[in-house]
Amino acid sequence: MKVQVKVFSSLQELSEKEVNLDLPDGATVSDVLYEMTRRSPGLSREILGPSGMPADHITILLNGRNIRHLAGPLTGLADGDLIAIFPPSGGG
Amino acid sequence: MDGYTGTILYVDLSRGSINPKPFPEGYKRLYIGGRGLGVRLLSDLVDPGTDPDSDANVLVFATGPLTGSIMPLGSRYDVITKSPLTGTVTSANSGGFFGPTMKRAGFDAVVFLGRAADPVYLSLKEDTAELRDAAPLKGMTTTGTTGAIQEDLGDPKARVSCIGPAGENRCRFASIMNEGTRAAGRGGVGAVMGGKNLKAVAVSGEGTIEPADIAAAREARDEIRKKIEENPITGKGLHNYGTSVLVNIINESHILPTRNYQSAYFPQAEALSGETQKEKIVKRGKGCFGCLVACGRETEEAGEKGEGPEYETTWAFGPDLGISDLSVVTSANHLCNELGLDTISTGATIACAMEMSEKGYIKEQIKWGDGPAVLDLVRKIATRDGIGDELAEGSFRFASKYGHPELSMSVKKQELPAYDPRGLQGHGLEYATSVRGGDHVYGYMIAPEVLGSPQKLDPFTDEGKAAWTKTFQDLTAAIDASGLCLFTSFAIGAPEYARMVSAVTGMNLDAGELLKIGERIWNLQRMFNIRAGFSDSDDTLPVRLLTEPLHEGAPKDRVWVREPLLSQYYQLRGWDEKGVPTPEKLQELGIA
Repeated sequence: MKVQVKVFSSLQELSEKEVNLDLPDGATVSDVLYEMTRRSPGLSREILGPSGMPADHITILLNGRNIRHLAGPLTGLADGDLIAIFPPSGGG
Repeated sequence: MDGYTGTILYVDLSRGSINPKPFPEGYKRLYIGGRGLGVRLLSDLVDPGTDPDSDANVLVFATGPLTGSIMPLGSRYDVITKSPLTGTVTSANSGGFFGPTMKRAGFDAVVFLGRAADPVYLSLKEDTAELRDAAPLKGMTTTGTTGAIQEDLGDPKARVSCIGPAGENRCRFASIMNEGTRAAGRGGVGAVMGGKNLKAVAVSGEGTIEPADIAAAREARDEIRKKIEENPITGKGLHNYGTSVLVNIINESHILPTRNYQSAYFPQAEALSGETQKEKIVKRGKGCFGCLVACGRETEEAGEKGEGPEYETTWAFGPDLGISDLSVVTSANHLCNELGLDTISTGATIACAMEMSEKGYIKEQIKWGDGPAVLDLVRKIATRDGIGDELAEGSFRFASKYGHPELSMSVKKQELPAYDPRGLQGHGLEYATSVRGGDHVYGYMIAPEVLGSPQKLDPFTDEGKAAWTKTFQDLTAAIDASGLCLFTSFAIGAPEYARMVSAVTGMNLDAGELLKIGERIWNLQRMFNIRAGFSDSDDTLPVRLLTEPLHEGAPKDRVWVREPLLSQYYQLRGWDEKGVPTPEKLQELGIA
């Protein structure tokens, strides 16, 4: 399946802004993170915690929905999905 | 010393009299200062039924005990009045250096009563106060006024808080600007100032603001500084990209209101984002007094220097108007700052006019995305020229005049900011219940519902949201009373605020008492509004947000659901089913 990955703000200094990935059926968000950190090793320390899971302060949206309100990194993906990864953001 | 100067200045503009009075000791522990003090003084001095445009309304400039203190981010002051936009009590909060300097001049607060016969400005210097002729300043922009006053006083370091033409012309959403670029933005505080014929307040001072317990204050300051520096939002995100870093995350969440809330996704949002701003218009970051975050952005567009746009402004002149040209958004922001206009209400009122035009409800052709027309309308609003005179009344009065109040995206007649509540049940409750009308900073539920701070809540459910909203509202009221910047709340919580207030004032508050003070302020504002004629029927959102579902993205098919959330909220607050604080609650809070 093909999925699109976008990273934002300071993560854009460590990775391409947009990446299209071709993943096997059954792939999950964690596969995307693995592939992104493989391509851009500098991303690891920014988006992954010590356990290799997404760091607490990182926001990962799957088609606009925070994966923490889905099945976390084990959330399954479908063809055409958009994954957006944000470092800590604030404002207002 | 205890963080207070101990002096409140009463300026009767009708009589030209100036009287310093002691800060009422009993108010310190009940209201702290800042917004709390201002709301208390307004309640003491103004009948809630007063016409906000009349001379009987008062205008309070108030600092908190942490303003200008050694605590980090202690830059804030509040302007409190009865709003000519909403008819509620309102407070507008601003940073920069004006508030700390007002304290160093020797004043915790200034209360303006009556109306001057001719334009004046107030000069405060080291325990002295003088009303001076402002006739030559009439019609001047905010930076023009600032420079002219510094020259008049022979004091280039004087800090000036003033109105521009919009305030003089009593535009209902006129702001008060200090140092040209920091805004006490919302609720039309500038219109009240203009109605009083008060052009500006200038402050100079070198006094010191000593804490009651210097050792405890230093220890608290050092530990809390570290927390702010180490927090990824305050230590990094806001510093690197400013508040407009929110553009992309809000848009990707499909909650970025677009074309007057007709949708919640703007395909060209990236062109306006904090990332793009950094690349194209930002010269450097800028901080207020005592700041470690420096979320301000010094920007330049077509040779014109200014600050911003901040996130809300980026939205109001961008997606909400169908504009993707960053230069237009930047120019509109600079123009609003110069003319003294609240950027949220200005953009949102123009968005309402654009939809009215699109639907043929008004004869003027105002098209989505028309940047030059928007800049022209901003000028016309400030000068009340042509259609600008009608728009200067705000979106609700404008849309109502033409028979379509439902197209005003406002609550209690104040325009909503940059988050669509159809995908944010908790934030929708904040919009509906905010005691100053449509608002995001009286209880920023975006933090838990989108940004995951202090913990992540599902934005689509209402579970626990009534309690979270109440806690955020009460805590924010206490922070505004203290004089600290609200952005500290990304890094610290009630115990840290209580610790700082205690060390500076010597009052020895714990987190529970601090939150109780916030609750007292909230209820006092609620009671003012009830006595002004507001009821539970005003605690709702525009009909579009209740009945027209979003049509794409994660929040597709969702609307904001009022019940049972609102009833749960009333119950948690100790209010009756009509949203009126019970006698027991008022007695508990000491405001019966």
